[in-house]
Amino acid sequence: MSESVSDAELVERFPWVQITHDSKHHFRGWLDKQLLINCCGDCGKFHHPPKPVCPDCWSENLVPTPVEGKGTVHLAMHLHQGAPAPGVDYAAGPHPVVAVDLEGTDGVRFSSTVVGVPVEEVVIGLPVELDWVERYGHPFPVFRPRGRRREG
Amino acid sequence: MARRNPMRDEIAIVGVGSTEFSRDAGGVSPAKLGAEACIAAIRDAGIDKAEIDGVVGALEPGAPRANQMSAILGLNDITHHSSPMPVAVFALVDAMTAIFSGQADTVLVYYAFTRAPWNSRSAAQDPFRSYLGGMMSGGLKAPPMPESIDPSAAYTAWAQRYIHEYDVPRETFGRVAMNMRANAARNPKAAMKTPLTMEAYLEARMIRDPLCMLDMDIPVDGADAFILTTTERAKQLTPNPVVVHTATAGMVGRNDEDQLPSLARHGQHVVVEALKERSDVWTDDIDVFFPYDGFSIITLGWIENMGFAKPGQAGRWMLDHWDETLGCVMIDGRVPMNPHGGSLSEGASRGTGHLREAVMQLRGQAGERQVHDAKTALIGCGGFFFNSQGAILKRL
Repeated sequence: MSESVSDAELVERFPWVQITHDSKHHFRGWLDKQLLINCCGDCGKFHHPPKPVCPDCWSENLVPTPVEGKGTVHLAMHLHQGAPAPGVDYAAGPHPVVAVDLEGTDGVRFSSTVVGVPVEEVVIGLPVELDWVERYGHPFPVFRPRGRRREG
Repeated sequence: MARRNPMRDEIAIVGVGSTEFSRDAGGVSPAKLGAEACIAAIRDAGIDKAEIDGVVGALEPGAPRANQMSAILGLNDITHHSSPMPVAVFALVDAMTAIFSGQADTVLVYYAFTRAPWNSRSAAQDPFRSYLGGMMSGGLKAPPMPESIDPSAAYTAWAQRYIHEYDVPRETFGRVAMNMRANAARNPKAAMKTPLTMEAYLEARMIRDPLCMLDMDIPVDGADAFILTTTERAKQLTPNPVVVHTATAGMVGRNDEDQLPSLARHGQHVVVEALKERSDVWTDDIDVFFPYDGFSIITLGWIENMGFAKPGQAGRWMLDHWDETLGCVMIDGRVPMNPHGGSLSEGASRGTGHLREAVMQLRGQAGERQVHDAKTALIGCGGFFFNSQGAILKRL
């Protein structure tokens, strides 16, 4: 799958994020619908966004590790205006943006939006799980309230 | 444990120059505004431009860098120059250390601001500002995703966290905005002088809920400049120079905006610890208080982290110290908070407005805003993530 995607193609598929040598594994993971968070192969600590060495022990033995993506909303805001993106219509209502404390990652947070729930219900403390939607024709990681499955 | 502070009171601010701050200065470049402020500062210091051997100008979008400003002003034989990132105390500390270490004797510091096409409708119509558009996307080929918690959005996200943890109403943020607006009305340089009521605050356009447009600093065209030199030299220029008692930056390791440890541990806490350990004075000894207000949540953070109020109590504290006649905070009936109107109402100066007003107050030249016999000013500059800073200024 994403293994066959060249670095140049990877950058082309996500023109709206800055991909580096250090974060390319994370974004390749998106193409496979896998949320990869760097875990240190030596000390076992997670960190995000991806860094060139483990901030705790400076090991370069970093393992992009698939995480389940369950967590709790730690930060939340509702954008009444913001950058344009497909499927985001500020005129139709505020767009929720959250930072989620990911379970089992020593408090690493991952930021995205929440789907499948009215924006008023996107609040701090909401239990969420990872899901994937399409954006610009490629998988994009989002959250949805835990226990509520996608319709259809 | 006390920290070393060999620069204590050794560096003075001897010159100040400023344009007025405007939401539309017309067909003027940031280079022109910067030059105007620099020339005013050099004249204010009463020195010849040949005396300047250091130039520090911040990396503001569209603003000239130090080398360009040296060319604009014809400053020769410069032995120290740099262009640190915002906010203001980065430049202040850089100039101080250059002077203290002997890299330069007299340093020009300046910041120039220009409204960008993405934050001002009239700026979007100015063809000479169109190149700034590319700076917004950081070189990306498409707009950044709305879900990036960049520094601006992050203050909103942490503001919601503050509301969640302390169960405070929006009025707490509104009180910050009202304080700045009432003070700006007494500042001829301020961009926003119309009075602001709590009702108007609550009805203002929401940008990123929970913060509305009145919680965000107001983009302006303008510039501030300062001349720094040794206190020894300053005493030849003026009998009671304004000196920097101490100044510092502060940052935690986990400073990615959405990864910050908590509201109880970020850059402001590092700043406060460093200031206290290097200073002879603290909050009870000051005459003017300058908490940065690029976003209203930042001000609440400084009030609490400096120790004026307990965590979550900044709103209550502002009410307890509210002067109904003046329409603003007067701590213990005496000490104002951003008497120039701050970034929320004077204009988004990245803290140079706070620094300039501190100098004017300590010189006794703050007009109708003057605090009687002001001798000490406390500045908390910048926010939570990468640019928390602080400074204490004194009149000798």
